[in-house]
Amino acid sequence: MANVGIARLCKDKPSVHGKGGPHRILHDISMDIADGEFLVLVGPSGCGKTTLLRCVAGLETLTSGQISIDGQPVSDMPPQDRDIAMVFQSYALYPHMTVRENLSFGLKMRRTDPSEITSRVDEAAHMLDIGHLFSRYPRELSGGQRQRVAMGRAMVRRPKVFLFDEPLSNLDAALRQQTRLELLRLHKRLGATMIYVTHDQIEAMTLADRIAVLKQGKVEQIGTPATLYGQPANTFVARFFGTPEMNLLPGRIEAGWFTADGIPFRVCLPGFPDRPVCLGIRAEDVQVQQTAREELPQGRIEVIEHHGHEDLLHIRCGDKVLSVRSPANKTWPPGTVVHLVVSPERCHVFAQHGETGADGDRLGPYAQTEAPL
Amino acid sequence: MISAAALVLATKLVVWHAYSGGEEKALAHVIERYHAQKPDGAVWEAVNVPYGSFTDKLQAAIPRGHGPDVFILAHDVVGQWAKLGLLEPLDGHLPLEQVLPTLWPELVPPLRDDGRLLGLPLSWKTLVLFYRKDLVAVPPKTTDEIQQIGDRLKAESPPGARRYGLVYEAGNYFKHAAWLHGFGGQIVPPGSSVPQLDNPEQLAALSFVKKMAASGDLPEEMSAVLTTQFFNEGRAALTINGPWFVSEIAKDVPYGVAPMPVVSATGQVAAPLTSIEAGFVSARSSHKALAADFLRFLAGPESAYLRATIGRQSVSEKTTWDKLEVAADPVLRAFFAQRQHMRPSPTHPAMRSFWEPGEQALRQVLRGLEPKDALHGAQKLLDQYLRPPPQTQSERPLFFALSVLGLALCGVQYARLRKRNVFSATFAEAWKERGSYGYVFPALAALLLLSLVPFAVGAGMSLFHRDLDGGWRYVGLTNFSDLLLCKTGGCFEPLSFYFTLLVTVLWTAMNVALHLALGLGLALLLRSPWLALRGVYRMLLIVPWAVPNYITALIWKGMFNRQFGAVNGMLALLGFPPVSWFSHFSTALAANIATNVWLGFPFMMVVALGQLAQIPAELEEAAMLDGAGLFQRLRHIVLPLLVPAMLPSVILGAVWTFNMFNVVFLVSGGEPDGATDILVSQAYRWAFTRGHRYGFAAAYAVLIFALLIVQSAAARRLLARRSD
Repeated sequence: MANVGIARLCKDKPSVHGKGGPHRILHDISMDIADGEFLVLVGPSGCGKTTLLRCVAGLETLTSGQISIDGQPVSDMPPQDRDIAMVFQSYALYPHMTVRENLSFGLKMRRTDPSEITSRVDEAAHMLDIGHLFSRYPRELSGGQRQRVAMGRAMVRRPKVFLFDEPLSNLDAALRQQTRLELLRLHKRLGATMIYVTHDQIEAMTLADRIAVLKQGKVEQIGTPATLYGQPANTFVARFFGTPEMNLLPGRIEAGWFTADGIPFRVCLPGFPDRPVCLGIRAEDVQVQQTAREELPQGRIEVIEHHGHEDLLHIRCGDKVLSVRSPANKTWPPGTVVHLVVSPERCHVFAQHGETGADGDRLGPYAQTEAPL
Repeated sequence: MISAAALVLATKLVVWHAYSGGEEKALAHVIERYHAQKPDGAVWEAVNVPYGSFTDKLQAAIPRGHGPDVFILAHDVVGQWAKLGLLEPLDGHLPLEQVLPTLWPELVPPLRDDGRLLGLPLSWKTLVLFYRKDLVAVPPKTTDEIQQIGDRLKAESPPGARRYGLVYEAGNYFKHAAWLHGFGGQIVPPGSSVPQLDNPEQLAALSFVKKMAASGDLPEEMSAVLTTQFFNEGRAALTINGPWFVSEIAKDVPYGVAPMPVVSATGQVAAPLTSIEAGFVSARSSHKALAADFLRFLAGPESAYLRATIGRQSVSEKTTWDKLEVAADPVLRAFFAQRQHMRPSPTHPAMRSFWEPGEQALRQVLRGLEPKDALHGAQKLLDQYLRPPPQTQSERPLFFALSVLGLALCGVQYARLRKRNVFSATFAEAWKERGSYGYVFPALAALLLLSLVPFAVGAGMSLFHRDLDGGWRYVGLTNFSDLLLCKTGGCFEPLSFYFTLLVTVLWTAMNVALHLALGLGLALLLRSPWLALRGVYRMLLIVPWAVPNYITALIWKGMFNRQFGAVNGMLALLGFPPVSWFSHFSTALAANIATNVWLGFPFMMVVALGQLAQIPAELEEAAMLDGAGLFQRLRHIVLPLLVPAMLPSVILGAVWTFNMFNVVFLVSGGEPDGATDILVSQAYRWAFTRGHRYGFAAAYAVLIFALLIVQSAAARRLLARRSD
């Protein structure tokens, strides 16, 4: 088990014929992953998370920067010497070998003692419950079984670092949930350093010790799931986590009051200078009541989604629609005019597009416990 | 007006020839002169038919009535074609007692068959001695004098550029026959009904040639091209050649022509074989009288004069030789002097089978084998080729078997359809879809005509034997039993089916193995996206494929020439002695394989590259992370996935190689002595060079087909098992 350090990593992709100059896919990435930590790299398609993972594996070259494992720089080391195991999205099981041979391959390549190979393979098979599949070929296995064999293949090698490249995306929803739990248990049991790539925020939230959010080759924020959820560094991270997405309202703060642009929505926000901002409020942080009060913003219920344990109300306020969670026992028909109660300490304030500071950077209100890079 | 109408009404007649250059021009003039003399007579048109297909075209066209009225051809087909009924006897059409005395008498007898005269001699083509005037002052008269010239030139040679006295195509029997005659022998000896090889005169002639070759006076592997080159470059002083050689002598070479020498050991002239070019009337011409009249003019003095001066022919008409211009031509003078000592080539029908054994004996002796052993082996071969034909058999068993088989098949099919209860349904549906059969019909017809019918005819041919007079006789399975029971000589001799089968299997296996190794190896080397090299390997691919493979084969054959080939040249650079590639089985096979591998590896390379692209990159990345280095990845991941995927192409390549006629025929030509022949080339030889045993060759073809069917069926089952 080891820690992984990434320092100022940049990667350029060589230009395609016709376009001029290489273009940068990873910009100045730095992060430190502690020994035994489960780090999830998350972000939309094309953000560079898989590329970053492959750089750590040694399957891609760096343009500049440094990767070190256990303090040792590995940027010039070929993949086979880095003592890293990877579980691919398509599992990459050797089709012409049986499950047992697949599991033993890595150890065979390192000339491990045959008895040692057998014991490790059996141990992994026991842990993953694939012992009964030893003599089968990959084409005879189901998706879930293949995935477990792929994990087993990584496990038997007892590498310093485990890398996962979207391993659950080829599974159906039920299997995905089950495997998520198994992965968590596995991590607890092995205590290994794991770097995990996914585009699914739920996977990220449930599995990670820490999450690194990437967008277009840059790290937007690294933090624990709670931090990222509760104190997103910018609107991108804020919208990425949470179902439904956080409600964002552009507007202005003047004399301690936030007024949304163009819609009758006002919230008292003391302690902020006068400036244009974007207000973020999560669906669960808004209460709905029918009793009117002078200063409460109001809106009309458009659509109600019944989720069984709660309802999701879509409330139209001017030309915007806000999502609000409500307990299931309140039965309001669509069309009802309701009033929204918003507590200032649950609001997230971001800079508006075009101002100094990055687009959507968090301006408050809480004192930040983690610098957003 | 009137002459135009007369032209339209006049009879149009055709004369076929294979002339070119001056001879063709001469013929055109002759026809002009004929038309001028007989303006109301027939109108003649000369058609030039290429030399290679001349006899085949005539044999095909005349029986169908499509051939010419007159054709000009060498005399040696007379014996056979008279029996085939292609030639019209001239006795009834011409006053021979007036015509023949105008022609040289020795040119007439070979054109007779059974007493009748079948053609009029027009000219003769024979061999004479050409000499370079700057190297030889007086042309030699005996073989001893030739030897002396050779010794002198050798002594005078500058170092590294040895000069020779006499060079000629020593492996060509037509030219060798002169020595045979010089030692008192004949191809068809008196008292024998067939050509013979194993007799004292043949032995003497062969020993004479062996002595020349062994002492180094005769360069090795002399071809016609090399002979011309040597003569033109001044590296040889003398050569034996025919009238065609005149146009190949370089402009600035001072040459002279002399009659063939006397063999010093016997005192007899080395009389060369002669081809008498004659005009024939087709037996199917509708205007035989007019044709004969034209022929008479063709052989007459006016035409002879034109042919002698413009075409430089040695004409048959006597008086032409007294004319000044003709007498002044030194080349014609030499051919004229040769007339007294020339032998017309035998017209015996068995001659067709004679050349191969004769030339085999020559080649073996030139390579160093004892003449006695060479002749003995060659005679055995000749006996094989001349063996009596199989007996005719009754066709009744065949018809019986076929009808039983046919009925059985129909019955089985009926029972199957009946069982599945689809009879009425099938026909009703077929009738409903009858429109679509119209679209299928052209392809179906093409398939039938171009594949099935020739196949059926060829397979059927294997049950027959074609006699020398052109008739076909049913012989049942005799051809097959002759083949499989090694009736053509021992089972371990190169001529036997089993020996050839073994060679073919060996040839196929080694080729496919090398194709695979080379193609795979290159594909593995070139698969990394090195953009710079991509253009290189595309060119590597296209060159062997773009050049037609027979051209490639000929070039490689030239490269393996012992004395002047590039391969031995490279070996010499590296310090190795030259290899006589076609004298031994192993080296000849290696030469063939080298050529075929050069031709065939691009196919394997392309297939391998395609299959390599289908191996997901992630598999190799996973292997990399598992700790496998490059060679380990190749061994454990890439190759186990690649090789089974190449199986279909390997099978295809095996079938193509099994039947690769071009390379084997053109590069080694079956050397040494038929050992490197594969099944297809053996079948070819049986059909076309060994007495035209078409039925036997067809049996060969059927067996090859059966072998390949079994091979592909086995391979298909292998594939089906693997692709699950």
